Amino acid sequence: MSTPASLSPPIPAPTPLTAFFWESLTNRQLSILRCQNCGNYVHYPRPICNVCLSEDLAPEVVSGKGTLYAHTWATQAFHPYYVDKLPYCLAVVELPEQPGLRITSNIIDTPREQVHGGMALEVVFHEISPGLTLPLFVAEGFAPVTA
Amino acid sequence: MKGADRVAAVGVGYSKTGRRSGLTSWQLAIQAAKAALADAGMTPQDLDGVALLWGVAGPAPAGLDIVEPMDFGYMLGCGPLNWYGEAGPAYIGPAIQAVAAIKSGMAHTVLTLRIIRQRMSSAEQLASEGAMAQPMQVGGDAQFTAPFGSVSPVQSIAALPAQRHMDLFGTTEEQFGAHVVAQRHFATLNEDAIFRDPLTIEDYLNSRYISTPVRLLDCDYPVDSASAVIYTSAERAKDFKQKPVFVDSASYSSVKYMTFENIDDMTQSSPFHAARELWKRTDLTPADVDCAQLYDGFTIIVFQWLEALGLCGVGESGPFVAAGNTALGGSMPVNTDGGACNVGRRHGANFCIESIHQLRGEAGARQVPDAKVAVWANAVGPFSGAMLMTSE
Ligand SMILES: [Zn+2]
Repeated sequence: MSTPASLSPPIPAPTPLTAFFWESLTNRQLSILRCQNCGNYVHYPRPICNVCLSEDLAPEVVSGKGTLYAHTWATQAFHPYYVDKLPYCLAVVELPEQPGLRITSNIIDTPREQVHGGMALEVVFHEISPGLTLPLFVAEGFAPVTA
Repeated sequence: MKGADRVAAVGVGYSKTGRRSGLTSWQLAIQAAKAALADAGMTPQDLDGVALLWGVAGPAPAGLDIVEPMDFGYMLGCGPLNWYGEAGPAYIGPAIQAVAAIKSGMAHTVLTLRIIRQRMSSAEQLASEGAMAQPMQVGGDAQFTAPFGSVSPVQSIAALPAQRHMDLFGTTEEQFGAHVVAQRHFATLNEDAIFRDPLTIEDYLNSRYISTPVRLLDCDYPVDSASAVIYTSAERAKDFKQKPVFVDSASYSSVKYMTFENIDDMTQSSPFHAARELWKRTDLTPADVDCAQLYDGFTIIVFQWLEALGLCGVGESGPFVAAGNTALGGSMPVNTDGGACNVGRRHGANFCIESIHQLRGEAGARQVPDAKVAVWANAVGPFSGAMLMTSE
């Protein structure tokens, strides 16, 4: 790819362990590595399950639902791609498949005043630059934040 | 950590500190080491260990020289070293190395250093990234965060947990500001601080956001700097010039992966583990602490340490700070040198050194009366550590 840096966000450099995540997204599916022995999801990808120590793990498609664990509106660009995209909402989204299972993402297409910790979200897939599809989230409803 | 096998801090020193100092990393390290040796009344031959952290927090300008612990010891003319090591995060890494080395008997007197160089400015960073012919490629765990624009520590270390702290506990921006104002007031009393003009809450609330709710004035100030502290055994401490300050307890924590976005609990991260261990290893309690020096890379880190250390209740750091407890004359003075926002990003070392100044009773206009117990803490998120120091 010869896209200048300002036309693309930082792009992933997958390894054999992480390639499934990015390939799955090009098929508009969100997949997380899951232990085939005990069912524990492991994210970020690791070659072992930290619950049962099985090394038999495989990607599984998840529901695409989520709740907003933490967020911020970025108002300063630290990479050229974001200079004309401020403010953008950087988010950590908790997936319902397992307590504490979270991915980093963005909230899009949601009015700023509607973005609250704990809100219900659902995934949408956006091809950000050639070959790079990201799982982003939009509001599904609203649920109050809990500790 | 009672008794004759205690570790003592016997010398402290800083290099010249400021923006783009024109000094090499070696020169900065040499200035700090010589200052600490002079403070202790010691020669390099008294040392048998060097533990340090060299490096830049953020993108590094080109052409910096690297400081290696073995190389640096021999540069100073030390004899054979019994301990050498490079460890992070920030200054707590070398400090813990020194304490562990001396407690174990592997070394008797260890010079610790944090040498840090001013990172690229945001404008320099944008220009350098913009000049890249291809998109920036990111490997490791950061491949799961950077493509979404999590590209600065201010976002992941500070803004995400600060917003969550507000969501969970009702913490307010005015409460963050109360800390920034109180800490600046200490800096007005510190001749070594870079920012010494008083600040009002209005100044804080008028400063721009970097990433909500974090403002420019919540961020520490990148500088070129080296800081040095010399530790030795309580027994040997009697041979040197200064009244020793004792390490009563220390802890070093790592939790989960080395990314800030994916830790188990953003508002109760490794400082809570580090603090539990710190208190387990001492007879002292939070009620015994006279002053606290808490890492302020960003304001929310101070708030998390206040709660982790039990200096206030979980979720209560906002009201605790806003009530004036952490200010000069308050019940728990915090960051009495002005913190890294005002003395520059010395990356935690200033909190150790300020604790020592307070416990020696040499902190001048900002002296906490009759300070006998100080706690200092460094880093946050996946990794951190803390140290409890006493004058007796
Ligand atoms: Zn398993």
